[in-house]
Amino acid sequence: MRKKFLAQIILVGVVTTFGLTGCHHGAGGGAGAKTGASGPGSESPVSPLGAGGEGGVGERPVGLNAGSLEHGQFPAVLFDYDSARIRPSEDSKLAAVAAYMKSNPGKLVVEGHCDERGTAEYNRALGERRALAARDELVKLGVDTSRMSTISYGKERPADMGHDEGSWSKNRRCEFVVVNQ
Amino acid sequence: MQREFWGRPVRAMVYTWRALALGTLIGCCLQAADAQVDVVKGKRSFGVSGFGGDASIAGQVADVLKNDLRLSGYFTIAPASSAEFVQSGTVRGDHSGVVVECVVMQQVTKRVVLSKAYQGSAQDLRRVVHKLTDDIVQTLASQRGIAQTKVAFVWAHNGVKELAVMDYDGYNVRQLTYDKSISVRPKWSPDGRKIVYTSYKNLFPDVLEVDLYTGQRLRLASYPGLNTGAAFSPDGLSIALTLSKTGNPELYTMNAQGGGLHQLTHTRGGESSPTWSPDGRSITYVSDDSGAPQIWTMNKDGGAASRLTVSPSYNTEPDWSRPLANADTKPMLAVTSRVGGKFQIGLYESSSGAVRPVAADGADNEDPSWAPDGRHLVFTKMQHWRAQLYLLDVVTGEQVQLPAIEGGASEPAWGP
Repeated sequence: MRKKFLAQIILVGVVTTFGLTGCHHGAGGGAGAKTGASGPGSESPVSPLGAGGEGGVGERPVGLNAGSLEHGQFPAVLFDYDSARIRPSEDSKLAAVAAYMKSNPGKLVVEGHCDERGTAEYNRALGERRALAARDELVKLGVDTSRMSTISYGKERPADMGHDEGSWSKNRRCEFVVVNQ
Repeated sequence: MQREFWGRPVRAMVYTWRALALGTLIGCCLQAADAQVDVVKGKRSFGVSGFGGDASIAGQVADVLKNDLRLSGYFTIAPASSAEFVQSGTVRGDHSGVVVECVVMQQVTKRVVLSKAYQGSAQDLRRVVHKLTDDIVQTLASQRGIAQTKVAFVWAHNGVKELAVMDYDGYNVRQLTYDKSISVRPKWSPDGRKIVYTSYKNLFPDVLEVDLYTGQRLRLASYPGLNTGAAFSPDGLSIALTLSKTGNPELYTMNAQGGGLHQLTHTRGGESSPTWSPDGRSITYVSDDSGAPQIWTMNKDGGAASRLTVSPSYNTEPDWSRPLANADTKPMLAVTSRVGGKFQIGLYESSSGAVRPVAADGADNEDPSWAPDGRHLVFTKMQHWRAQLYLLDVVTGEQVQLPAIEGGASEPAWGP
């Protein structure tokens, strides 16, 4: 084995955390460039969309936030585990939503939710399929597609905080929120 | 604002973008000349005899080094008297910076295999030691280390979900979003500069991007319905994602600016969770078009889909390992499987279509994300319905819990 070691002391220069003061960059970009530097609650700007945001069905209501939505006007439509199929037992609930929408103005937000089992992203897709299945039934019942939009919350917003089938069966659901705008 | 350096990360979370100046260690790092060693498979014993000099930080330097060497997977920490390799060194520090000098010797041959000094700011002490560790791993194991890498994750607290980034060992946690909304599924750009994620900030789930250097955020996709699952291609030029604007969750690609949208799938089932193959030619994803969710793959430009996983009956969240410098390391696909009502991490075996469990221990183990070394995964472990992050060495099967995050941590993404 060779032993000709050459001791090399290399000073590795470390640039101290360079002051990423985005706030100095963003004079034209608004307050948002400050982002983290200004602490909790600050927001950075969101650029105008490129292609995103056009096309597809269901125009989104604007200016809403989660706190402005009033739930509970209609009973939740419930689903089987890992399924987005509308159960026959839920038909009357959807008929009530459709009847309301046909005789009242406003838009409808259809929320899809899942129980807590399984990965977050898979449940986001599953919740969206539930919301879309409910929306499609409402279309069949005569509600104009353009008046409805969907949100999948996946497993982020359980209705019941328990960890058993009794809770899970309540969390696999669609909720319907009327937005008057 | 002082950066908290040694304390538990989340409580000491400091709201500054400076911390996100990733990769600030620069300077040349010459390999110890002729430091050839006979690398053998398996772990080698390493004794950390500690550092002389400034006693106030020497112990901390030794502790970080021991932890790094353990987490690398290549070493066991042994008493210096019996270890194959033994370390010695000194630490000098003042308010302006620290210098860590380290010598590693192979005891049997008395040969010095590494002798270097590292300089950094006092606040960067952990980073300095991480650099030392990666040099030791490179020298003794001829592998790229992971000690200087970062992990992004979802931090659940106070009823909201925010993104955060931390060192691979769970320290130096930095909050990335402050939206008091739901910010989830972070994925890194290959250069480590940007993170794409799903945000409910404007009520509906959209795909956003944050630049870690400037803090600038861009809204890349906000079509009607679901916008989620964004994943950069290995060349950083394209993004695969899930959209439901046609009335069903389908896979798409777009350019990194959010334009050039191209639909890949057209099924009755749901598609989600795309991951790019290491060569960038194909996209692997989840589809339940055949019933229960399974892993499928197709050319990045679309076309025929082929099913990869045959068993078990439920597989989600595929993650391809990164392109590797070492040609002898083959690409690997990690997935989350459901077996007996429990979720576990496994590796797809192309010969059989089966998934070989690598983290199946009775907890719910989910969302594996590969380290750039192709050896380690970070994943979410759910115990009693509380989520924390763990590292897994797929060679040894060893799991290590990262420092607990108050409130909970999930959906980790290992950075480049």
